[in-house]
Amino acid sequence: MSKPLLSLQNVEKQFGTFKAVDQVSIDINENEFFALLGASGSGKTTLLRMIAGFEDLTSGALLLDGDDISAVPAHRRPVNLMFQSYALFPHLTVARNIAYGLEMERLPRKEITARVDEILETIQLSHVAARKPDQLSGGQRQRVALARALVKRPRILLLDEPLGALDKKLRGEMQLELKRIQDEFKITFIVVTHDQEEALVMADRIAILKDGKLLQIGSPSEVYEHPNSRFSAEFIGVMNFLPVVRSGDGYQDRNGAAITATDRGVLGHGATLVAAVRPERMLLNPEPHLNQLTGRISALAYHGLDLQVHLETPSSPQPVMVRLTADAAEGLNLSIGDTLAVGWSAKDTRIFDA
Amino acid sequence: MDHRKSTRFMLLVLSGVFAFLYIPISVLLALSFNEGGLPTAWTGFSVKWYGALFSNQDILGAALNTLIVAVVSTLMATALGTLLAIGVEIRRRKGRFLETIIFAPMIIPDIVLAIALLSFFSMLNVTMGLHTIIFSHVVFNLAFVCAVVRARLKNFDWSIVEASTDLGASILTTLRRIVLPVLMPAIVAGALLAFTLSVDEFIIAFFTAGAGRDSITLPMQIFAMIRFGVTPEINALSTIVMSVSLVALALSQRLNRGGLPGQ
Amino acid sequence: MTTIERRPEFLIAPALAWLTVFMVIPCLLILALAFFRRGTYGGVEYTFTLENLALVFDPLYAGIFLKSATIAGTSAMIAAVIGYMAAYAIVSMPKRTQPALLFFAVLPFWSNYLVRTYAWIVLLNREGLITGIARWMGYEGELPRLLYTEGAVVIGLVYNYLPFVILACYAPLSRLNPEISEASRDLGATGWTTFRRVILPMTVTGIATGFVFVFVLSIGNFVTPALLGGGQFQMIGNLVYAQFLTANDWPFGAALSMILIAIMMGLLTIQTFATERASGARHGTD
Repeated sequence: MSKPLLSLQNVEKQFGTFKAVDQVSIDINENEFFALLGASGSGKTTLLRMIAGFEDLTSGALLLDGDDISAVPAHRRPVNLMFQSYALFPHLTVARNIAYGLEMERLPRKEITARVDEILETIQLSHVAARKPDQLSGGQRQRVALARALVKRPRILLLDEPLGALDKKLRGEMQLELKRIQDEFKITFIVVTHDQEEALVMADRIAILKDGKLLQIGSPSEVYEHPNSRFSAEFIGVMNFLPVVRSGDGYQDRNGAAITATDRGVLGHGATLVAAVRPERMLLNPEPHLNQLTGRISALAYHGLDLQVHLETPSSPQPVMVRLTADAAEGLNLSIGDTLAVGWSAKDTRIFDA
Repeated sequence: MDHRKSTRFMLLVLSGVFAFLYIPISVLLALSFNEGGLPTAWTGFSVKWYGALFSNQDILGAALNTLIVAVVSTLMATALGTLLAIGVEIRRRKGRFLETIIFAPMIIPDIVLAIALLSFFSMLNVTMGLHTIIFSHVVFNLAFVCAVVRARLKNFDWSIVEASTDLGASILTTLRRIVLPVLMPAIVAGALLAFTLSVDEFIIAFFTAGAGRDSITLPMQIFAMIRFGVTPEINALSTIVMSVSLVALALSQRLNRGGLPGQ
Repeated sequence: MTTIERRPEFLIAPALAWLTVFMVIPCLLILALAFFRRGTYGGVEYTFTLENLALVFDPLYAGIFLKSATIAGTSAMIAAVIGYMAAYAIVSMPKRTQPALLFFAVLPFWSNYLVRTYAWIVLLNREGLITGIARWMGYEGELPRLLYTEGAVVIGLVYNYLPFVILACYAPLSRLNPEISEASRDLGATGWTTFRRVILPMTVTGIATGFVFVFVLSIGNFVTPALLGGGQFQMIGNLVYAQFLTANDWPFGAALSMILIAIMMGLLTIQTFATERASGARHGTD
């Protein structure tokens, strides 16, 4: 494994008595698309602002290419930030906004113009170069903010909730667009987001943060398929949790049914436990060796490709969610009030501390 | 029915109030163009009273003094007040003490500040003149500039300051190229307001001008003239002074779009 | 975080220094001056005394205080009533026209105080417009004197400070939710009862602010009594003026202005308390 581009080592941030970031260590590689995922108050934005140079580290180290940059002021770091509010300069045109960072490097006029023109082309906004930010649409503003940071060719581009202000349809397009741009510019991206779907779609690796602590780090499929805690499991995707108790080698749900999990799936060893299973891992007409439960259908939601079924069952205090492909559901004629039995295999079962 | 009746009553109230507010100054304005100069008879339109002003050395001298005081004190107050506003708004925890000091020049009765400054200057044996008027005017002018700029800063997106830093600008560059240009309309509006206040200010100037005739300002001149009674020249002079204030204020309002201070 | 954000004091310091030198220190000086003896030939003798404060309460000056308070109180009352009615009328106009109406109501406030006062001399003097109109309408008898009376001073003060009261009353009135008065009517109250029991209590703070400011500005005023009162009587402001510019008794003048400040602080404190209680009560019923 090559040396990481950016290395956070035991980074901490204390605001008064409140620990916003608590002993976080992450290595981020060259050309990686990295996502910091967490709810508000998880410390993800503070972490990003520390990398940008807007917050001091209370303790720990921040290495870029092996050099500690934690004392380098923000305006000297080869790192640029795309702000959540975009922070476009309202009194400057699009072109002047983008040129601003290059002017700070005291580049020759000609080079600045050339680079601004080039990036305007890339983001397809050459036609609005002379407009002021308040004459742009939300999507255009977002791209100008991106271009303004990118044009400096930073070692790392930081993006604070880059798609947060866009509507849902545009967000989908921009997720792919951001990946394309990252690929084209060969720059390391670090994205802060609270949207797990966004992180799954865009990132090469995801770090899940909670209360300032790093919970899990891994590729999208790793964090989705192998969450290492109940919080990670709940935060990414949809997960059913059944309260269980230990029973011999295996487990037993509230209804007394046996639940088995593979050794790899056992991640909790405390007194109160839950068995977790993803809705799409639930199968109809379960074979006897599978974990299973039976319930009464309390709600049905059709989503085009699939059908979501809510089951009320004595095995769980909350309704259990089952996701059936449209094909599987076809011909079953499910309706509310029907009884349904579903099963899932031991390898799809995770045991967590409740 | 009831509603329409109350609306009509409200219109009546408004007309009454606006008549009360505007008739006196309108009469003044009209009379300044009255050939005969008397309030009781209109003898024809004339600008001769304005002409008379321009051959009156006392008035011209006072006008020049007022201009000097207003321009210099406005420039100083704009610099101090703008920095103050930015500083106070950046500071996250706001001290009650600081707020009181900034607010004080706007509420202390003029007469109190006037005698305080008079005592202060004479105790230090400072020779009084235009410069002491200027120092004194900066006190309230900076408070008003600060208030106008702070109002603008209330919906200022501070992330553009960080964005500028992030793009490689030092703090001075950020101040010069980002913060000041964005705030410029409010700063100019504040400066115009300060200019108006300074042009019109009488009491403090009266107490801090010192003895000689050299440092008489226009309001002091007007005060002296009014005490001798009504003359057509005062009507003309009043009209000019009023117009200057109102034009400066209208400009300020237009730039700021936020309404009058206090509004 | 940048240096400037860590140390905004650098931006604050110059203005703060200015205000300290040219406002705080002079005001403290006045405070100190009130406790020193008057020098034999004017000037100040630096020995501690309470004589100046005692003199303030001398019956000789009680009359002036009473007169000042009466004139300031009358002006403040009239201004508060008219100002509140005007603000109420503005609020009852269509939303679009309100900013313009307010702007024009406040505009005169920003023109020269002396000029605005002088305008009333033009109207009220013996050969003034009002006399002229009376003659023109055929009135031949002797008109009562208008200028250089207490009434003229009150009119001048009301005229000068009315815009401020309108502004102060407009703020709470414009924040009033129209549904509240509709709710009151819905519950069976008449228009007048709704006004008296609902609208007035919720907006009385504006009247209070307006009243306090007009009162304080009036009681310390010396320009209007000098111009419209014609030196017929004195108010506290004139007394202060005289101590500094003619009688040369600075310590007594300082003591008088301390009284002015005390009255202002007292009224503002009462008003703040009242406002807090009123808004507290409002929060309780929200």
